[in-house]
Amino acid sequence: MSFLEYRIKMVPTGLQKFLHLNWPLILLLTAVAAVGWLMLYSVAGGNIDTWAKPQMQRFGAGLGVMLFIAFVPIWFWRNLSALAYLVAIGLLLVVEFFGHTGMGAQRWINLGFIMLQPSELMKVALIMLLAAYYDWLPGDRTSRPVWVLVPVILILLPTALVLTQPDLGTALLLMLGGGVVMFCAGVSWIYFAVVIGAGIGLVATVMLSRGTTWQLLHDYQFKRIDTFLDPGSDPLGAGYHISQAKIALGSGGWGGKGFMQGTQSRLNFLPEKHTDFIFTTLAEEFGFIGAFSLLTLYALIIGFCVISALQNKDRFSSLLILGVAANFFFYFAVNMSMVMGLAPVVGVPLPLVSYGGSAMLVLLASFGLVQSAHVHRPR
Amino acid sequence: MTRTPLRPLARILSARAAGENPDVIERENLAQRHEAMRTRTRGRAEGRLLILGFAFLAAFGLIGMRMGALATATAAEPQLASSGTEILAQRADITDRNGRILATNLMTNSLYVQPKDMVDPARVAAELAQIFPDLDAAALERRFTDGRSFMWVRKVLSPEQQQQVHEIGDPGLLFGPREMRLYPNGRLAAHVLGGASFGAEGVDSAEVIGTAGVEKALDARLRDPAQAGAPLALSIDLTVQAATQEVLEAGMKMMNAKGAAAILMDVHTGEVLSMVSLPDFDPNDRPQPLLTGDPGDSPLFNRAVQGVYELGSTFKIFAVAQAMDLGLVNPETMVDAKAPMYWGKFKINEFEGHNYGPLLSVTEVIVKSSNVGAAHIAMQIGGLRQQAFFKSLGLFDATPVELVEAPGAKPLIPSKWPEIVTITTAYGHGMSDSPMHLAAAYAAIANGGLAVKPTLLRRDAPLQAERIMSETAARAAVSMLRQVVTRGTASLGDVPGYAVGGKTGTADKPKPTGGYYKDKVVNTFASMFPTNDPKYVLIVTLDEPVETSGPKPRRTAGWTAVPVAAEIIRRTAPLLGLRPEIELGAPDGLVAVNN
Repeated sequence: MSFLEYRIKMVPTGLQKFLHLNWPLILLLTAVAAVGWLMLYSVAGGNIDTWAKPQMQRFGAGLGVMLFIAFVPIWFWRNLSALAYLVAIGLLLVVEFFGHTGMGAQRWINLGFIMLQPSELMKVALIMLLAAYYDWLPGDRTSRPVWVLVPVILILLPTALVLTQPDLGTALLLMLGGGVVMFCAGVSWIYFAVVIGAGIGLVATVMLSRGTTWQLLHDYQFKRIDTFLDPGSDPLGAGYHISQAKIALGSGGWGGKGFMQGTQSRLNFLPEKHTDFIFTTLAEEFGFIGAFSLLTLYALIIGFCVISALQNKDRFSSLLILGVAANFFFYFAVNMSMVMGLAPVVGVPLPLVSYGGSAMLVLLASFGLVQSAHVHRPR
Repeated sequence: MTRTPLRPLARILSARAAGENPDVIERENLAQRHEAMRTRTRGRAEGRLLILGFAFLAAFGLIGMRMGALATATAAEPQLASSGTEILAQRADITDRNGRILATNLMTNSLYVQPKDMVDPARVAAELAQIFPDLDAAALERRFTDGRSFMWVRKVLSPEQQQQVHEIGDPGLLFGPREMRLYPNGRLAAHVLGGASFGAEGVDSAEVIGTAGVEKALDARLRDPAQAGAPLALSIDLTVQAATQEVLEAGMKMMNAKGAAAILMDVHTGEVLSMVSLPDFDPNDRPQPLLTGDPGDSPLFNRAVQGVYELGSTFKIFAVAQAMDLGLVNPETMVDAKAPMYWGKFKINEFEGHNYGPLLSVTEVIVKSSNVGAAHIAMQIGGLRQQAFFKSLGLFDATPVELVEAPGAKPLIPSKWPEIVTITTAYGHGMSDSPMHLAAAYAAIANGGLAVKPTLLRRDAPLQAERIMSETAARAAVSMLRQVVTRGTASLGDVPGYAVGGKTGTADKPKPTGGYYKDKVVNTFASMFPTNDPKYVLIVTLDEPVETSGPKPRRTAGWTAVPVAAEIIRRTAPLLGLRPEIELGAPDGLVAVNN
């Protein structure tokens, strides 16, 4: 029995819910998506049909899904969490064995009308299940080892499946997203400290072993790590994306070259210019001001989510909102860092801006959950 | 944590006394406790949220700052960083002693095909056969269509060929960048450099490995990535090498020789300034080794190092120098030179049946090149001391020059050393050495008696060498060699101003069946200049020469090798920076009586 159910009476019903939606959040999401349409229009060389129009249609559909989810009470979704998780795991297994291979990795399921990436679905399902778990778990057990082990297994299972696809980026995002939910649920510091410490220790041991007699990896493996961490060392090979993206950003300067004036992306110097590397087009055409504005939009979305989570007295709702916000945050933070050469290149799209249906749909659905939690919050 | 009891006894008792339900108190306290717990959880959750918020904020800040930094940075085209060039593994250049390029690298492209991607194999095969006339269109087409997925067509392409292939425009034709070895001077110093070819070949690069000469002997040094930027400086002087080669080539033709070799060496450092072996080849297009016949007939054969011959009378000076060093004789000592000389069943003759009589001075033994005189001197020395001296001159071991061919070119030495060998080796028969051995041994005499280790690498300082004979003995030997030119068998070798000294040697070539040819000889002139302070040794060897300007063919070194050597000295001495000096000869009418 959640705290929610005592106070149902004060929660709006019917079309009243429409008024109680978190409208600033919806506007911000739409604004970000609009930036995406502009950029897709520009990247396609002024052609709306190539990428911009399908993207708009998808956003419309996604908005519909979001509203639908928002109107369904949050406790319904909470009760569905375990099922959602199981379905997502099932889909990951399906993709493992029958999946459609694209771009060298097996991650897609063809549903006919849409190519679905179960790993996207998994991100939301995992957050839901973890939030529900901590909602159910009495507060004094949060940090007991056994009760910490359960969510760790829940996180590691899909992570392992995603890693075999192989999709390092999504696997990392899954772990980070799950970790944030656990962190917000109040799991003791010690566990995080131990995990982070062990991770650093392991990496340090491996890197320190280089050149010694007890070297743990082969030389070529170290070399690969080098290029992965510092693509700049191989600007015409592994670092090609990055160096071209940096040129685009640098040539954009403060004010940018102007809409549709970017050369770096439109002259095909950049691979993946309409998906993972679309940020470079923005930075080139609208400069620092444009790029920073987009960053601000993202920051505002996170901000509104955090406020909504703070206002929400229901544990499931607030954990869910934070999880979704963190997931969103990792998306764009990893993408921007990667494009700007702060992080290694892992295939993570820029949320709501990069061309792609399933990621956007899942993202909007997760914001539907945020809206539902917001509308049906206890008052 | 202090816990308030859920049912405080005092309150329960007082409530009971007042007639109220005591359970209400319990419920109240329970609610209070829940509330407190919830507040604690919320407090903690908010704390965590704050931390998370800060983390987010920090990340925003970082990304924003990076944006600013990139926006203000000037964009630069990416340069091929050092790690990229590592794959190409540039081979070090080879230069002469003055830094002029002898071998360098050139970016080129290989041509390979991926027949699976080919649109029209028949057309491609036909057009390739047109560009490369040695390819056969039908054979190419057959190989394009036999199901293979990869095939090399050409290892290197010229830019014109690459453009022509490019214009065929078939997606199955692909170019692979690679470096090739280039010898810009062509045939010059071919035997020194040797050559290079491709080792492991990849599509993106190919390994260049040395196949002969310095390129192979010093392969590890040339490929050492740590020294890739530092060219390898040889002792060769390009201009001297060019002059030597030109003169030797002309001389070889004029003397109708089938081969020739010349070595010019610095007597103090052992540096080889020029080394020529003819016939030669172009290392850019190295011929295949001969599969049949005598490998010595191949242009790849380096006569200067690999050509191990009996060097004949050039050896006489060693016996004389050693005898002087040991104090057995001085230049004026008379020795028996009555020919023929009998030793057991052997008969030792002079050239063309001369007889120099029972009293011949040591100087005259050299000047007149008396076999019998040299034999008697050697017998005074004795076999053991003779062998030790040959060994110290380096005549018993392969030369240490930095050529891959050198260690294999071992001198041919009799396994036993009876007295007859002592006698024959005194005039250069019965043991075989290469011109390089001879150059090093003569350099030891020329520099005043210090052992010389020949080298092809530039040495900046003379070596701390071991003394193998006294300076007086060496000087006396040099003076005798000078007289060989002024009034002896090498009179054609005089070059005004450069005081050439030297010794001729003519050896019959051995028949493969045993015995010696009567009309096939190896002529050698071992010379040094200027004799007043010898700086350079020049060895010229002609293989089967015959000089035909006289009434009958002449095959002695004095008529063949000597004039060629003189011409080389005339040409190279100015290049070496030597000033011509007029010798102070004895004034007319004041000839020494005892001469």
